[in-house]
Amino acid sequence: MVVYSEKETGVETKHLLMLPAIGLVILALSVIAAYSQGDIPFVKDSAFENPRRPPVAFYHDEHNEKAGLLECNGCHHVYENGKKLESSASVGMECSQCHLASENNSAIDLIRVYHLQCRGCHLKKNAGPILCGQCHQKNDN
Amino acid sequence: MHAIYEIVSGPMVWLAAIIFILGSLYRLIFMGRLAAKKDPMVFSYLSVYYSLRSIFHWIIPFASVNMRKHPIMTVVAFAFHICLFAVPIFLCAHIILINEAWQVKWWYLPNPIADVMTLIVIGACIFFLGRRLLLREVRYLTTFSDFLILAGVAAPFVTGFWSYHQYPGHETAAILHIISGEIILVMIPFTRLSHMLFFPFLRGYAGSEFGAVRNAVDW
Ligand code: HEC
Ligand code: HEC
Ligand code: HEC
Ligand code: HEC
Repeated sequence: MVVYSEKETGVETKHLLMLPAIGLVILALSVIAAYSQGDIPFVKDSAFENPRRPPVAFYHDEHNEKAGLLECNGCHHVYENGKKLESSASVGMECSQCHLASENNSAIDLIRVYHLQCRGCHLKKNAGPILCGQCHQKNDN
Repeated sequence: MHAIYEIVSGPMVWLAAIIFILGSLYRLIFMGRLAAKKDPMVFSYLSVYYSLRSIFHWIIPFASVNMRKHPIMTVVAFAFHICLFAVPIFLCAHIILINEAWQVKWWYLPNPIADVMTLIVIGACIFFLGRRLLLREVRYLTTFSDFLILAGVAAPFVTGFWSYHQYPGHETAAILHIISGEIILVMIPFTRLSHMLFFPFLRGYAGSEFGAVRNAVDW
């Protein structure tokens, strides 16, 4: 093993110790940036406790920008007396909060509304994934 | 991809279902008419009791002498037929799609079990293929259409397994999976797969004949 003295490398030990600290700051900043952007990498409804399929990659803001979805309530909707309210949105609520609300709703019915909303629009717009394996991708690291 | 998916998962499903139902009705009615013409007494001595007894006897593994003579074939055939019907009807993914279309749902198999049962169907198809190729007495009776039917039965299971496990090309496999399921549905009434339709009547016929003869009051 070769040991360099401070003089040979021109770097003081004191400064070397600064490197991990700077790294930590950069890491923390990027994490905060990611969170403030609100970009969630997966749809992860807490109602699915034991998922049967790989998680669905969904970069929220990037997806909606690419797909040109400006209205939040296109997905985060609110209904009253069976009619969709154009002026309200249910941002911040999970789909399962309403779609599993009644007794005879099961996980299958929650899956149903996710699929109808996601796949339904993809079919209508002729863009975006439509097959099980295209959304529930394996080893999508 | 979107256009193909919509055709294959929409109008083609209806077309396949209608051909299957009308084709099956046609075959059953035609066969009934033929039986009535060739043997006018056939319906009068068909007995519900002996029919059910014979059907029951033949759906219990090893209940019949013939099955006891061929133990391996019996085990494979029973495992094959159970999985063949249980997997498509009780597969979670199928029920999800049916619920999306009609809002009906029923009990489903856990995915790992459906996976093993799919492999049983594929394995049994390979066994049947080997039997047709290697056993002289079976090869003698085999025609080309037997191989086609075997391939037709295996295809939805191979493509389903392929797309579930997302092996390379799984998108194509998923489309082929839907198409091959529709093809097999259309094949049932018009090929030897129609034994699915005729089995109850065949057993009913044989059962009534034997039951009635053996228990007939001998004047
Ligand atoms: C394409 C449909 C769609 C559109 C359009 C949409 N969202 Fe979402 N949003 C979702 C889904 C799906 C989730 C994830 C729900 C879950 O995981 O439970 C979500 C989650 C969220 C969350 C929670 C994030 C978290 O970390 O849990 C917020 C906040 C949110 N959306 C805000 C918005 C706003 C604001 C808009 C409009 C600018 C919007 N969404 C438009 C589908 C959509
Ligand atoms: C505030 C409650 C609420 C939230 C949150 C909510 N929904 Fe809904 N959703 C409803 C109501 C109410 C209906 C109308 C149901 C009906 O007509 O029977 C509905 C209808 C739907 C339908 C149409 C169903 C059909 O049979 O045609 C879809 C699809 C759907 N929601 C998907 C979603 C998704 C995906 C989310 C999450 C991004 C979500 N919903 C969040 C209340 C909600
Ligand atoms: C209102 C329409 C709409 C809804 C609702 C919608 N999408 Fe999309 N999605 C699109 C469009 C349009 C594209 C194609 C965007 C492009 O690449 O130009 C797309 C693309 C995608 C892609 C591919 C992204 C990429 O970068 O290639 C994924 C993954 C996706 N959507 C997932 C989802 C999921 C999950 C949901 C439900 C939570 C959903 N989408 C709901 C319209 C929609
Ligand atoms: C357009 C994208 C999309 C497609 C295509 C799609 N799904 Fe989903 N699926 C979703 C989203 C989004 C959820 C909600 C995931 C969550 O919250 O964890 C979901 C949830 C599920 C769930 C419940 C969660 C779990 O893992 O147990 C199952 C099961 C499921 N999907 C099966 C399927 C099957 C089977 C197919 C094909 C017939 C399919 N999905 C096609 C987007 C999709």
